[in-house]
Amino acid sequence: METTPLDLGLRQAIYNRVLAGAKMPPVSELCELVRQPAAGVRASLQRLADAHQLVLQEDGEILMANPFSAVPTPFIVTAGSHFWHGNCIWDAMGIAAILHRPVTIDASCGCCGTALTLRVPDECSDEHPARVHFAIPAAHWWDDIVFN
Amino acid sequence: MLVFRSEDHIAKWCSDWRFERGAVLTLRTCWRLAEAWYSHDRGDPLWRRYTTEEAVNIFERLGLTGDFWRLR
Repeated sequence: METTPLDLGLRQAIYNRVLAGAKMPPVSELCELVRQPAAGVRASLQRLADAHQLVLQEDGEILMANPFSAVPTPFIVTAGSHFWHGNCIWDAMGIAAILHRPVTIDASCGCCGTALTLRVPDECSDEHPARVHFAIPAAHWWDDIVFN
Repeated sequence: MLVFRSEDHIAKWCSDWRFERGAVLTLRTCWRLAEAWYSHDRGDPLWRRYTTEEAVNIFERLGLTGDFWRLR
């Protein structure tokens, strides 16, 4: 399905807000930002979700605008006075990439829960003992993106 | 994708949850993958998802090869 000018405008509005440190905008706020009625905004969000550019919650609100999560996760990313939640450790590092600035990730070991604080990219070496585990093969990431 | 204190903790997690071991990346490789995937502002109207071929090229450049990383 083709991406419409509204889709592009919405995507821009969403990322502009989140990159500036604001929370993920709800549909009501997006309607104001792009000056469109809710039905049109919801249809546009669904098109973006169908194109794997967003992930929506069951009620149509945004769940993920990768690498950002709209809901709290165990991957807290801090830069300066702002913080965000990443969807996973890859996305948490992706927040440093999309911000183009160093961040600190507060996470925990997936096995034992021990706190893991990582300065990205400074501590991202091959020598660091921590490892990232991708459990699902790449071809199946979108089969269940929330689990993944 | 989860982060673990060490490779031993990945082995224990896989055993505890009866998961097959997937792909294990160092922090450096994961950061390089994150950089390649997310450096472009997705609010930019010119941004688009990578094609399968582009994604495979990124994986290969980072040494992420084999069935686990196969997209086509």
